[in-house]
Amino acid sequence: MFNKKWTMLLLTLCLTLIAAGCGQNGNNGETAANSGTNESGSSKVTINFMHLWPEGVSAGQNKIVNQIIKDFQTENPNISIKQEVLDNEQYKNKLKVLSASNQLPDVGVTWAAGFMQPYVEGKLFTPVDDVLSGELNGKFVSGTTEAYAIDGKTYALPLEFNIAPVYYNKALFEKNNLEVPQTYEQFKTVVKTLSENGIAPIALGNKDRWTGSLWYMYLADRLAGQETLASAISGSASFMDEGLMKAAAEVQTLVDGNAFVKGFNGLSNEEAKSEFLNGKAAMYMMGTWELPNFTTNEDIPQEFRDSVGFFKFPTVDGGKGDINSWVGGPGVGLFVSESSEVKEEAKAFVEYFIVKWGEQSVTGAGVIPATKVDTAALELPQLYIDLFNEMNQASSITLFADVQMQASAAETHLNQIQALFGKASTPEKFSQEHDAAISKGN
Amino acid sequence: MDKVMSNKKVIALYVLPALLLILAVVYIPIVLTGYYGLNEWNGIGAMTFIGLDNYQALIKDETFWGSAWHSLLLALFSGVSLILYLMVAMVLASRIKAANLFRKIYLIPMLLSSVAIAQLWLKIYHPTNGILNSLLESFGVANPPAWLAEPSLVLFALFIPILWQYAGFYILIYYAALKNIPASLEEAAKIDGANALQIAWKIKLPLAMEVIKVTVVLAVVGSLKYFDLIYVMTNGGPNGASEVMASYMYSEAFKSYDFGYGSAIGFFLLVICLIATWIIRKLTVTKDTIQYS
Amino acid sequence: MMSETAGQLQGGMKGSGGGMAGKLGYVLLYTVLIAVAVLQLFPLVWLLFFSLKNNQEVFNLPPLSLPMNPHWENYGKVWSAGNIDVYFINSVWITVAATALTVVLGSLVTFAVTRMKWKGSSIVLGLFMVAMMIPVHSTLIPLFSLFNNAGLIDHPLSLILTYVAFNMPITIMILLGFYYALPREVEEAAIIDGCSVNRMFFRIVFPMTSSVLATTAIINMIYNWNEFIFVNTFISSDAYKTLTVGVQNFIGQYTTDWGAIGATLMISILPILITFLFLSDRIVEGIAAGSVKG
Repeated sequence: MFNKKWTMLLLTLCLTLIAAGCGQNGNNGETAANSGTNESGSSKVTINFMHLWPEGVSAGQNKIVNQIIKDFQTENPNISIKQEVLDNEQYKNKLKVLSASNQLPDVGVTWAAGFMQPYVEGKLFTPVDDVLSGELNGKFVSGTTEAYAIDGKTYALPLEFNIAPVYYNKALFEKNNLEVPQTYEQFKTVVKTLSENGIAPIALGNKDRWTGSLWYMYLADRLAGQETLASAISGSASFMDEGLMKAAAEVQTLVDGNAFVKGFNGLSNEEAKSEFLNGKAAMYMMGTWELPNFTTNEDIPQEFRDSVGFFKFPTVDGGKGDINSWVGGPGVGLFVSESSEVKEEAKAFVEYFIVKWGEQSVTGAGVIPATKVDTAALELPQLYIDLFNEMNQASSITLFADVQMQASAAETHLNQIQALFGKASTPEKFSQEHDAAISKGN
Repeated sequence: MDKVMSNKKVIALYVLPALLLILAVVYIPIVLTGYYGLNEWNGIGAMTFIGLDNYQALIKDETFWGSAWHSLLLALFSGVSLILYLMVAMVLASRIKAANLFRKIYLIPMLLSSVAIAQLWLKIYHPTNGILNSLLESFGVANPPAWLAEPSLVLFALFIPILWQYAGFYILIYYAALKNIPASLEEAAKIDGANALQIAWKIKLPLAMEVIKVTVVLAVVGSLKYFDLIYVMTNGGPNGASEVMASYMYSEAFKSYDFGYGSAIGFFLLVICLIATWIIRKLTVTKDTIQYS
Repeated sequence: MMSETAGQLQGGMKGSGGGMAGKLGYVLLYTVLIAVAVLQLFPLVWLLFFSLKNNQEVFNLPPLSLPMNPHWENYGKVWSAGNIDVYFINSVWITVAATALTVVLGSLVTFAVTRMKWKGSSIVLGLFMVAMMIPVHSTLIPLFSLFNNAGLIDHPLSLILTYVAFNMPITIMILLGFYYALPREVEEAAIIDGCSVNRMFFRIVFPMTSSVLATTAIINMIYNWNEFIFVNTFISSDAYKTLTVGVQNFIGQYTTDWGAIGATLMISILPILITFLFLSDRIVEGIAAGSVKG
């Protein structure tokens, strides 16, 4: 059944593989060049596009993407777009593995600032300033493309723009005779009342860590002020600042006051969100990407969706923060690979994509784009309109800390957040670790 | 006999295909991992050779040793739980009706992917409406713990699903080993008046010894590099209380962009596995191998 | 939970001597065996219920309750999602090819190492064992660049070779224990009869190990069937992806459709469950039958 010939065949197979592997190891450049000539040799050009909107769950986004690709291909018959879809985590892993072999797709999705910095420093992304100053000039909400700029050059163009309000359950507030808090003192009273009445005040899934970071960021912003926080994160000032230390201490006071759902450090954001969605927790701080769940998502009872409101993180007495200062920022953006053989076509595609995405993403997928939206022309749920207005009034928007910082500092930040909330770290240690990690990166 | 059984051509034919394959697919990565460990490299740009710096940092890294301790604990628990699996297999391999069916049912959790197992146990451990805490509350336990959020409990809470997931795997192997023992041996012992326990201890256990040794190595090595459920269920948290070597390696290499350091952890993990295997083999060495006759 | 049952199992065995105590022991033993079986079946039932819920119900209802309106459409979503048939076929053939290759190549190595006499056999065995000790994530970047240089990226061969190589050590280890215990007389007789090594291996030894071969085959199949890290890393065309990718279709940027993931997992566990429950005995018989013919 299994004879000598077969075994010999296998042996040869293995040997060829190894020979092929060793033989070509030395001349990496040649292989890269080869794959290029195939494409540019013929008149038909293929752009490889890697993204993270699968058809199954991100149906809205996926539909828009496919529509854009279809239209683009019709307008540019010599170009075809080949998609690869991965989920968030697998996407990030693959991007990393591809980078190590310099095999990035022509166009792909990236996150801002700290996430993209190694790719930029490794010269894997190409600057897209020419695209930005072309048709797209003036189309972006101010402050969004800056998050993708390093040393004066922009390396990706944002698709999303989010801020993080505190959503609350109006019905629960009413039942407990609570008003929307205007000051932090009032907020603490709300927390106390809810907790005493047996309702979990805040849904928080801090297994994911960036969720807890949002709370810390707001406290830091309100207590120490936006500028202090920004300069501490950039490394030009210390986290040992009085206001920042107080913010860290305040986090632990909230934990002591049972402000967060039980077991929050072991819960994922999704699990925590469900506590809010099923009315067990009264408040939930999250980015505006959650808006579809509170407005259009049919899986969630109408009654609940109608009772969701939001408020701005309250100001603290004696704090330096402004109530119109937000934590948020652009989400994902599109990059063009430096080693792409079809850079010009890829840039044209990115430009086309950004424009079309901006026109359709709110209505088609509930995603707020980074390009300006004419809200008057669209029929939108009230919650969207209110938040669009807030965005326009924002005095400053501080980028999510874990996006802002370089990868290793971001990891330290996230770990320290979890430790701070879990009372395994102190405000002093929290600040020291931050300073150490940030100065190491710079 | 000897001449036939030491035919070089045949040996080469039998061993080389598999050997060349693992040399290419496993050893090239092993060697490269060792090499990356000697560099400062974020996985993207240029590498800088820094000699043993990463390894020196590793030796002083408390987080790493914490994670190594957690991995060792898991290895210990996995090793000990083998006794239980062996007993179950012995019961199944004795004259039990429908033993084959039982054996198959016992393997079912292993057929499930880790994604499913993790979701199941997240539902079991959920602090407020999880199966476990609902049960405890119905028995009158006030305020049962949030299993995955308590640094002192989380590791053991994770061990249970991990051990459970692999139970069927070892039962399957032991069952095959015990079924391989010729029935004539057992019959002969019965005629000599041996009881079930004596047969198990004096006949079955020694004959399955080689297999048992192998499973100890598999359990220990498998535990030392274990990753899946821990990563999905707690991500090493809270505060690193459930961090194991493989999850630490992953977060350094893929999350912190420190591929050099991550590789050093990976290589160190390999060395620890080697040492553990060497110790196991030293401890379990027997002079003569026993064969069925 | 487990240690308790173990104690009882032991009790059951002791009692198997005879008389009333024996009968009681048997009743107890079967009760325990069945109880454990129910526990082990529980995840399947749970998964079925899970697959019939929407996100709200997944998080709010008790895990072992069926929703008022079972969401059968979750299965519809999975089926209607593109390429599921392609993924399925890929999963089957890649799993089968990799498993068969691993078991056969692993048997050859184990035979050569345990039964034949040559210098360096223990070193070779050591090489295989060390290959088991590298964490998967350490190998991704080097393997990608290796396959990239060999032109095997986005080619199913990269998966098969990886699966065979990574499962080879564990396969050999399991086989090892069994080969050591094989009686030498069989080989001696075969050689006196003038049998060649090849003939002896394929006609006598290979079939004799049929039960352990089935065991390793099942283990290999489970691993290969559920593997997704290598698929995601090496494969980019839908034409070569496998079923595990289906799960990803329901993990979004900000939300995850758990019910649909449950349905995907349920669909993908069926083939392997059926193979295991109904075909594994046939495979053992098939291989064992080879020895009679030889």
